[in-house]
Amino acid sequence: MGATVGRRVDSTQTYGRAPADLGSRRERRQPFAEPGSAGRERQAARGVSTAEVTAPWEAVPRRRLISARWRNPIGIVGAGIVGLCILTAVFGRFIWTTDPNAPDAERLLGPSWDHPFGTDDLGRDTLARVIHGAQVSLQVGAVAISIALVAGTLIGLLAGYYRGIVDLLLMRLVDVMFAFPGLVLAIVIAGLLGATRRNAMIAIGIIITPAFARVVRAAVLEVMGFPFIESARALGAGGFRIMVRHLIPNIVAPLIVLTTVYFSTAILSEATLSFLGLGTQPPEAAWGNMLSTARSYIDQSVWMSVFPGAAIMLIVLGFNFLGDGLRDVLDPRIGGGVGDAVVNK
Amino acid sequence: MVATLFAVSIVIFLMVRLLPGNIIDIMFGGDAQSTPEQRAQAAKQLGLDGSYPEQYWSWMSGVLQGDFGNSLLSQRPISEIFADALPITVELIVLGLLIATVVGVPLGVISAVRRNSASDYASRVGGLIGISVPNFWLATLLLIFFSRVFNWVPPLQYVSFFDDPWKNIQEFFMPAIAISVFTLAITMRMVRATMLEVLNLDYVRTARAKGVPRRHVLRKHALRNALIPVVTVVGFEVGVLIGGAAVVEIIFGLPGVGYILLNAIFQRDYPVIQNATLLIAAVFVVVNMLVDVVYGWLDPRISVS
Repeated sequence: MGATVGRRVDSTQTYGRAPADLGSRRERRQPFAEPGSAGRERQAARGVSTAEVTAPWEAVPRRRLISARWRNPIGIVGAGIVGLCILTAVFGRFIWTTDPNAPDAERLLGPSWDHPFGTDDLGRDTLARVIHGAQVSLQVGAVAISIALVAGTLIGLLAGYYRGIVDLLLMRLVDVMFAFPGLVLAIVIAGLLGATRRNAMIAIGIIITPAFARVVRAAVLEVMGFPFIESARALGAGGFRIMVRHLIPNIVAPLIVLTTVYFSTAILSEATLSFLGLGTQPPEAAWGNMLSTARSYIDQSVWMSVFPGAAIMLIVLGFNFLGDGLRDVLDPRIGGGVGDAVVNK
Repeated sequence: MVATLFAVSIVIFLMVRLLPGNIIDIMFGGDAQSTPEQRAQAAKQLGLDGSYPEQYWSWMSGVLQGDFGNSLLSQRPISEIFADALPITVELIVLGLLIATVVGVPLGVISAVRRNSASDYASRVGGLIGISVPNFWLATLLLIFFSRVFNWVPPLQYVSFFDDPWKNIQEFFMPAIAISVFTLAITMRMVRATMLEVLNLDYVRTARAKGVPRRHVLRKHALRNALIPVVTVVGFEVGVLIGGAAVVEIIFGLPGVGYILLNAIFQRDYPVIQNATLLIAAVFVVVNMLVDVVYGWLDPRISVS
């Protein structure tokens, strides 16, 4: 039984059916345990609709998630763009085999058949460099988001489950992190650690973590309100077990939305940091540092500035579209404010 | 708020001491001939001698009296550096916020009121595009546009608004537009979402059913309520704008606080790094507190703790 995505509803309607609950074998043997899929079939056979019985917390089967997406063109477009970017990052250099670091061509050319994106100030092919930049951006984004996901979920779980002093301390820490403007903190952390790509990943991961922590904590608090947690505890489930087998599967929906939405933030932050000279260093190609070099040549070549920036915008747009679409399907209550404003620029 | 500022200063203090490794070692690089006296003297100069609590105390007691120490490189008092740099950054942020709200709020209202799917869709897509444009790219494109099409570049030497308003506007309008786009899009989305909610509320529909003209309903009921969440967004957005300001200050050569901070990072001017970060964070915290107060005042149901 895979993780299902739960639609959050007003938690004042409680004491209905619990969310899809992996449960332990011991719990499944109990007469009051929640029926699995077989039980639901029996209910359907009895003429009781799943919707009625599983209110207020309705597990949204994967089937519905996919079919709901077809009605959401923005999300589809976003998914398409993101897919394209991932494919470019992974396979692009096998299709367009020009070496991104070889200064072979004439400098500062505009687009042509040989060089669809032109060449840069040293005669390197811009298309090859943009493709390499896609790799860098996605890599930094993925690592930074992973850091934030793991750290933020851990903090949110601990704070939401244990409450009390643990909650107080952890949330104070999160509040202090929120007291810094996102980009400034990333600049300071990356600057103090040293200007490398690895440190940029760490810095960006750190600044996104508080947002994850807060949302995870809120989601955990909501799930904790359901009686199945109490019954699990009564059956002897310890903290770790409850967190892993009960809490995490039920907060997957907001996590998916957060990950997508903040991926765009992470990519934009990486571009900004490398633009400022704090991330990936030249001569390695990253979209940000390509734009930074291009700035000195705007008199001689407009094209150098156009393509890396357009690439950044396209991938960020793709993730934002995707995030918007996913949010509509999975969890409209996260709303339009989350993820938009925390750390950008 | 004081507790937050206190915690923030501790975090900054620890970051500057723990993240870069041993600062004295970095400073003396490969200089194998540096004597312990030289290193000790450098440590004293940087304020790195003594235990952490001592260092923290000497830093904070100075700050609370307005003495931020001196820059490592230029030996200028940092408070002077701040006094020069702060007006620039403040002006940038104020202009950015102004553009974002003056353009964003009406756009949000219009797109909420015109609920037909075409313009609704266009505004939703437009909003998403607005939050996707990198501000440094937009700034570069604006520079290219003006230099190619109008053969014009912004003046290089900073003048205050009060000394020469026209030149000041010329210097500031491009960076202000560049940093405002993101906030504009956010504001537009926010206003639109809230207006849609409010317009569907029972009392608004009652007013319309009673025959109250639409404009009146908009102005008296919907708009006022829709503006409240915008105020909360402003708090957050100032943080975004501060970051954006740092970037455009580098691009346009405006020596504001962001510019100072970035240069200090590259030149390893640790006193400036430490104090500038504190300044920026403190401003952000104060602004957010003010926003909370204003929010509590606007919405009588919220009490400000």
